[in-house]
Amino acid sequence: MIRSCAAVLCVVALAVTALDAQQTIAGRLSGRVSPEIAMLVQELGSAAAHRGLPVDPLIQKAIEGSAKAIPSDRVGTAVRLVVDQLDTAAAALRNAGLATPLDTVEIAAGAFAITAGLRGRDITEIARTGRPTAEVIVGLRVAGTLAAIGVPPSETVTLVSASLRGRRGAGDLLTLPGQVQTEMARGATPAQAAAGLARAAAAQARHGPPPDRGPPPHPPAPPHP
Amino acid sequence: MTEREFHPQVKQLLDGELTLADLPAELRDEGEEALRLLAAVDREPVSVPSVTWRVMARLERKRQRRLAWLLAPALAAAAALLVWLGRPASPVASAPGSMVTVRFVLVAPGAHQVSVAGTFNGWDPAATPLVRSGSGDMWVATLVLPSGQHQYAFVVDRARWIPDPTAPAVDDGFGRRNSVLTL
Amino acid sequence: MHADTQGPSDGEIVRAVLAGDRDRYALLVERYRDRYARYASRMLGSTDAADDAVQDAFVRAYDQLAQCQDPAKFVGWFFLILRNRCFAEQRKRRPHLSLEAAARVPAGQRSDDGAESAERRRALQQALMELTAEQREVFVLKHVEGLSYTEIAERLNTSVPSLKMRMHRAYDRLREQLRDHA
Repeated sequence: MIRSCAAVLCVVALAVTALDAQQTIAGRLSGRVSPEIAMLVQELGSAAAHRGLPVDPLIQKAIEGSAKAIPSDRVGTAVRLVVDQLDTAAAALRNAGLATPLDTVEIAAGAFAITAGLRGRDITEIARTGRPTAEVIVGLRVAGTLAAIGVPPSETVTLVSASLRGRRGAGDLLTLPGQVQTEMARGATPAQAAAGLARAAAAQARHGPPPDRGPPPHPPAPPHP
Repeated sequence: MTEREFHPQVKQLLDGELTLADLPAELRDEGEEALRLLAAVDREPVSVPSVTWRVMARLERKRQRRLAWLLAPALAAAAALLVWLGRPASPVASAPGSMVTVRFVLVAPGAHQVSVAGTFNGWDPAATPLVRSGSGDMWVATLVLPSGQHQYAFVVDRARWIPDPTAPAVDDGFGRRNSVLTL
Repeated sequence: MHADTQGPSDGEIVRAVLAGDRDRYALLVERYRDRYARYASRMLGSTDAADDAVQDAFVRAYDQLAQCQDPAKFVGWFFLILRNRCFAEQRKRRPHLSLEAAARVPAGQRSDDGAESAERRRALQQALMELTAEQREVFVLKHVEGLSYTEIAERLNTSVPSLKMRMHRAYDRLREQLRDHA
């Protein structure tokens, strides 16, 4: 009896989610894309929401394509590609042993990393660091950015994983692309720059910060008015 | 007190110092008229999203008028994305929901109009124009964006979509590139 | 009207801007623009006029930022700059222009709105434009922005009794206007 009730509630919740998704998609696309694209995104988006995937990336891609005056068939292809990337990212995160349902922002971050050139197994590796969701999300975004700069996948994963394991906060993670670019400006290849930073991160995780160049003390939190 | 003036007790009702039930019976109708007046007050929020970039653009133009601004010729061939991170004093600079000031700069010789379009403004090329600054080839806009992942491109003369040459870029799925901003 | 507790405080941003980090001023603009746009739109009877007034006030505030005696109280200091800007706009306007402007005030588009409610809101806003700027201001601050008489008195550096006198005259004029045009 209880299982039946739970099953009914799950079906209702999914139906409500799907209906919600349809209304959100229709509202956001109204007047922005052609009717055929709107219909396609509604169909793909509802199915994606049913699988626990975020819908926003599909909507964004459809609006982007229309804004850029891309023919409808190519917009359709691009939206389908986004769905594939989201599915790949979700599978990669499940392979890392993350609890379900997965965080949709985390899935979107993983999909971005895939857009940038990383593979499913790279996403799995980063998610396996065991850090809190909020940090993994930033880690995946930073990994995608590093890949977009030209850092090869394995060096990207090594650097981001070492930084996450070293418990560097989101703020520090976000500085990694800039640090890599600084090293590149000095003549290092993207791979060399990332590898050097990864070694430093790993050493810091093992031994703590070096005595002469420790991280600055965190300033006190601002007083609330 | 004339016929057209509210009774003092009804004015206390309007001030929130009395309730309708506190009014004597002969003032109830007038009290209800007063409450109908208050019910017609429009408290709808007003949204003026363009004010931020317009204010920053005006300040930039004022600054340029006060400065002597010389650009090296090399800059004429390059674009730069300069990110001023408005980091709060607390350690978590990118806490979900925190806002970051971002300055977009493009050097576009010969351009008549430049804007930036991306995930933060619905890819609308009309939403965020850049303003001319300095020598006339430099275009600038300052936005405040939420922390997170953003993709964008510059739109020159409403026709050419170009990524930021010095920012990381990813395939946009349409055979072009989008610039990436991770805050 | 309190400072946003997310991110840096107003005082920190003001000090950073005065120290040369100009672009951080955008955080203050972003934080307060909508809140003060509502006050300005009710005072001036037009969202367009409010947009201009809020912009001008933020630009002036930036130029005079060094004169803000207590950076932590930027919001109150900024309000006075915006207020002066709104009052100056009122003095420039001819009476019939304020009615035209009032006719264009959007009466609040809400999904559960009836045409009748929208019309009542429009009529009240039009009646508000018939008040003096001082009367309109106390009405807007109390009934739109939700401030108490004490808070308004502190903000405007005046007394509660004089505010009440202004407000009660406003109530009577509004009643007169709404009856005349019903």
